[in-house]
Amino acid sequence: MASNAVSLYLDPQIRDWVLFPITLVMSPPQKLSRNALREQRALARSQILRASAARSPLPPQLFTSISDELGEAFAAGTYLKDGPPKGDTPARPPNPLTDPSAMDGMMAGMKTQMVMMVPQMVIMGWINFFFQGFVLIKLPFPLTLGFKSMLQRGIETPDMDVRWVSSLSWYFLNFFGLNGLYRLLLGGDNAADSSKDMSATPFATTNAAPAGPQDYNKLFKAERDNLEFANGVYSWIGDGVEDRVLRRYNRLP
Amino acid sequence: MSVSSALQKLASYRVNNNRASQEVFKRGSIILKSGTSPRGEEGWAFLEQLALAAIDLDRLDVADVCIKQLADKFPESPRVDVLTGIRMEASESPETVLEYYQTLLQADSTNAAAWKRRISVLRNTGRIEKATEDLIQYLDTFYSDPEAWLELADIYITNRQYTSGLQALSHALILNPQNPFTFVQFAETAYTAGDLPLSLKMYLVAVDMIERDIDSPDSRPPSSLAFRAWWGVKLCSRHLVDSASASSPSNTAVPKNLKAVDELATERVLSAYKGEKLAEQRKLVEKWISLN
Repeated sequence: MASNAVSLYLDPQIRDWVLFPITLVMSPPQKLSRNALREQRALARSQILRASAARSPLPPQLFTSISDELGEAFAAGTYLKDGPPKGDTPARPPNPLTDPSAMDGMMAGMKTQMVMMVPQMVIMGWINFFFQGFVLIKLPFPLTLGFKSMLQRGIETPDMDVRWVSSLSWYFLNFFGLNGLYRLLLGGDNAADSSKDMSATPFATTNAAPAGPQDYNKLFKAERDNLEFANGVYSWIGDGVEDRVLRRYNRLP
Repeated sequence: MSVSSALQKLASYRVNNNRASQEVFKRGSIILKSGTSPRGEEGWAFLEQLALAAIDLDRLDVADVCIKQLADKFPESPRVDVLTGIRMEASESPETVLEYYQTLLQADSTNAAAWKRRISVLRNTGRIEKATEDLIQYLDTFYSDPEAWLELADIYITNRQYTSGLQALSHALILNPQNPFTFVQFAETAYTAGDLPLSLKMYLVAVDMIERDIDSPDSRPPSSLAFRAWWGVKLCSRHLVDSASASSPSNTAVPKNLKAVDELATERVLSAYKGEKLAEQRKLVEKWISLN
């Protein structure tokens, strides 16, 4: 590359001792138990069935048998990590603002929010303290000047190519950017999605149903409605297939 | 044969999921002996590939060399653990291997590869019931694994449980609705189960799918899988033309223009038997068709 003439040369030690540690710290190891994995993936079953419902490869009998089976399992909570819910849980959570005991729960939610923030602050402090002003990596594609404040936070050099990324910016990129990757790898509702902690206010999260099995129970119930909708649009790909084939060979008037 | 061209060939085998153990072993062991095994990611993938090929050819000494290098590099890797298990399957007793996989699964109950290997060992040693049970449990966790659904269908079908086989196949179908091979397999199973109307429909779906992008399909003989599907159509329609009241456990209706389908199928099947070489076969097929 010709442009390398005016390029920076980064000590490979920076890669080994700064770039990798920051990335590593930002990616929490995820180990799910089998039941948790099953719960997380149960929705995919019905999504797969629904995806092809309008032109389903399955004849009516088999389609309904799978659809009914899934609907029943969702209704009964078979796929929940901790097994089907007990009968004595209330159908709808009471309004937290009218119930004094629920206020405690809300405060607890805010407390966990704060607790979740602490490790992030510690990591950011660690990076800022040890690696302030480090240039870590060069992006393989050119960018406009507009990205400078995003990629070179903590380094005040007006002339440096925007492609160079500073340590603090690398932290932020990981913090927000890896979530998409997690979602891709671990499915929609995984625990590693830290952007939820940042973007939502404490009140919003407590209102949007407490995390955990109940959350999935709700999702499953909603998925049941989707399944019923899919039953409505269902048609078998085998309907009229003989006419389609005959027409291709010009055997139909 | 230069090392780099051999490496290229092996990489293409990996990309296309081509097992070709003989070839892989021949080229791979040259590279291994020359000591120029590639560095980096490709090198490790190469070692894994060579190890599997060596196990296939019962050259366990070579496999051990490869696995040793991999295990030194990735001591905790589940992938290497499973590779070690496959190597053990080649020489150890099934009990030892099953125990080994059990310990892997205890360490991480979501190790899908180890789970699948254990199911395969169970099936190969004749413990069909346990294998089926395990496989169903596996699929309950990892639903979207069409390979495993096909394996389950295969177990059912070889045990003549066709209804269950069709159910397993239907999951493979919705996971892979674009794959005509699964449709043909479904149709064949329905045929064996005696559900001819359903079988006919599924064969036709497969034909429709394969020939969708061909401009004028009647101008050329059917391609390999289409040929098989057309044969299936012919087999079904021949029976159905004979007996109008065909039983169908799935309540599938017999097509109205069955006659036209039957005629077209006859033509398509015969169009594949062209030329001197196939004259003999063509005569046989024609005779079989005229027996109607």
